[in-house]
Amino acid sequence: MELRTLRSRRKSSFWGQIIPYLPYVFQSGVAVVLLILCIVFSAWYTSFLQALPPDLPIRWIMLLLLGPLTVYSGFRTYVQPADVIFLLPQESKMKQYLSPAYFSGVIYKLLGLYLVTIVAWPMYIRTGEATVPLWAMLLVLLLLKVLSAYGAWQELRIATSRARNGYRLLRWCFILLMLAAWIWLPDWWKSLLFMLLLSANYILALRFPMKHAVPWDSLIANEKAGAARTMMILGWFVEIPAEGQKVVRRRWLSMAGNRIPWKQGTSYRYLLTKTFVRSELLGIITRLGLLGMLVLYWTGDSWLGAAVYVFFLFMIGTQLSTLRYVHRDSPAASYYPIMQGVRIKEVIRLITRMLLILAVILWLPLLEASAAGSESALLFSIGGLAAGLLLVLVLRSNWNRKWSELEEDE
Amino acid sequence: MNETPVLQVEELSGGYSLGRPVLHDIQFEVQPGEMVGLIGLNGAGKSTTMKHILGLMTPHRGGVVIQGRTRSEEPEAYQSSLAFVPESPLLYEELTVREHLEFAARAYNVEQKDYEERSKRLLKLFHMEEKADSLSMHLSKGMKQKVMIMCAFVARPPLYIIDEPFLGLDPLGIRSLLDFMLEMKESGSSILLSSHILSTIENYCDRFIVLHKGRVIAQGTLNEIGEQAGTPGAALEDMFYDLVKGGE
Repeated sequence: MELRTLRSRRKSSFWGQIIPYLPYVFQSGVAVVLLILCIVFSAWYTSFLQALPPDLPIRWIMLLLLGPLTVYSGFRTYVQPADVIFLLPQESKMKQYLSPAYFSGVIYKLLGLYLVTIVAWPMYIRTGEATVPLWAMLLVLLLLKVLSAYGAWQELRIATSRARNGYRLLRWCFILLMLAAWIWLPDWWKSLLFMLLLSANYILALRFPMKHAVPWDSLIANEKAGAARTMMILGWFVEIPAEGQKVVRRRWLSMAGNRIPWKQGTSYRYLLTKTFVRSELLGIITRLGLLGMLVLYWTGDSWLGAAVYVFFLFMIGTQLSTLRYVHRDSPAASYYPIMQGVRIKEVIRLITRMLLILAVILWLPLLEASAAGSESALLFSIGGLAAGLLLVLVLRSNWNRKWSELEEDE
Repeated sequence: MNETPVLQVEELSGGYSLGRPVLHDIQFEVQPGEMVGLIGLNGAGKSTTMKHILGLMTPHRGGVVIQGRTRSEEPEAYQSSLAFVPESPLLYEELTVREHLEFAARAYNVEQKDYEERSKRLLKLFHMEEKADSLSMHLSKGMKQKVMIMCAFVARPPLYIIDEPFLGLDPLGIRSLLDFMLEMKESGSSILLSSHILSTIENYCDRFIVLHKGRVIAQGTLNEIGEQAGTPGAALEDMFYDLVKGGE
């Protein structure tokens, strides 16, 4: 079979598993909430555009909105562990197999980047800071995206993990610096020249580390993590197992869970805590929390602040709920003596605690805004906290009911 | 040995579909402090028997009793009475070697002090001290197998179910495992062990159960197996060959 056809078959087979779930996604309550939030955001954004604050740090906002989306690159190769045996003899022809992955990786992510750019563009124009037309911005973003994807692809090929991490950091620095130059420098040709010089240096730097012709192990690990991420997103809406997610070492968190009381009943709590601190989920929650704090910093002194606060708590709660699927079909379930009913109890306990901690952390910008602001700001801040805590209680009771019923059925 | 058996497999018939049982009337016992070898060709039913003992499969007929308890009556006590080492290591990628040992010790309600002593000794015995804080995903297959074995031994239940433990182990690892199994046996634990390396287990097991096409075709001590095979005094490998060839 042609290698290109093989990839295309694997892609169809993977998405063939996902598509049957889509009707359930649309039926689920979370999808409706997201739709309502889109409508609320559109209404707020329209009114925000009509009365833009005079000192809006628009360049920083554009960099924060577009930077991560421009740098972020990922590829779905649909490579399987057995390929090390069966496709290795055809390694020299693997370009046929892998090049569609590279192009799809760029195209789909570019669509998201363009969507955000187009939505943010009216805000950028109205502040009077935009020095280039939209088409020029889109073109530069395309070039930066292609460069970042090229860099990410070369990183996959790098033989040592330390060099790979170093080059990832380098890519973030280079691309963000180039984007900042494009947004900040008043003369477009100067920005362009700077970007060209920086790109040449970056491409040159990528030639130095030792690389594999086809990085089989990296591709397999990457594909496993990519597939697991898709399943995890789907898991926000429907009941599916969330296995095979990427494990992140996080040495600084290795003490987490060690102080859990030494009792048979807490063994699953120990396992769950260790799993959580090394999961991708913790990274997602942290990023979401930071983004929430940033948005709340701007909107904290109005009713919108309280709404954004509850929204972010809800989003974090939804993400945390995927912990329910962790270890559901793992050896712990059958080989180790874990008491009945303990698993659900411990999952809910961990999620609730995390949510309560985040409810307090996310509330800090609201508190700060109310301390410096008016009485109404104080009201929104206290009201927001109360609504947030109520949301945590409602979610907790909902999980308790739903998951206990499901466990009885299983 | 007249004590109550640790493990009783009673007229067990079972398999993956009701109409086509893989196991037929399997009957055997394992006494306290006994090491029993479960031997058979590929597909003879060794792993299926073990899965039934673990409670991962439901018997079509008959049952399994561990220390007088069935899994349906007392699931937690039943599960706490045995530790399993599967043929292919099943570990949590996000846990280090030490954390696996700690999780197993907590799950089996081992005292913290005992866990610390046992884990230290096991890590040394299996030459895994340097890897104690490595994530399991970064271990070789043999090392993963050692972690599975150590997790079982840190728990110290009355019964060990060990499926093909030597696969992937280095010679030092095999020796450490055999020595430790003998020590466990002497301390009163029972071991049901399946392996294809008959020349190795011949000298270590007290009794053998020969499975062929889902049935027990012979069981007993080495001498008793020799008599049943009609080749007394021969090596276990030769007896086994005669038994299964006779069943063809």
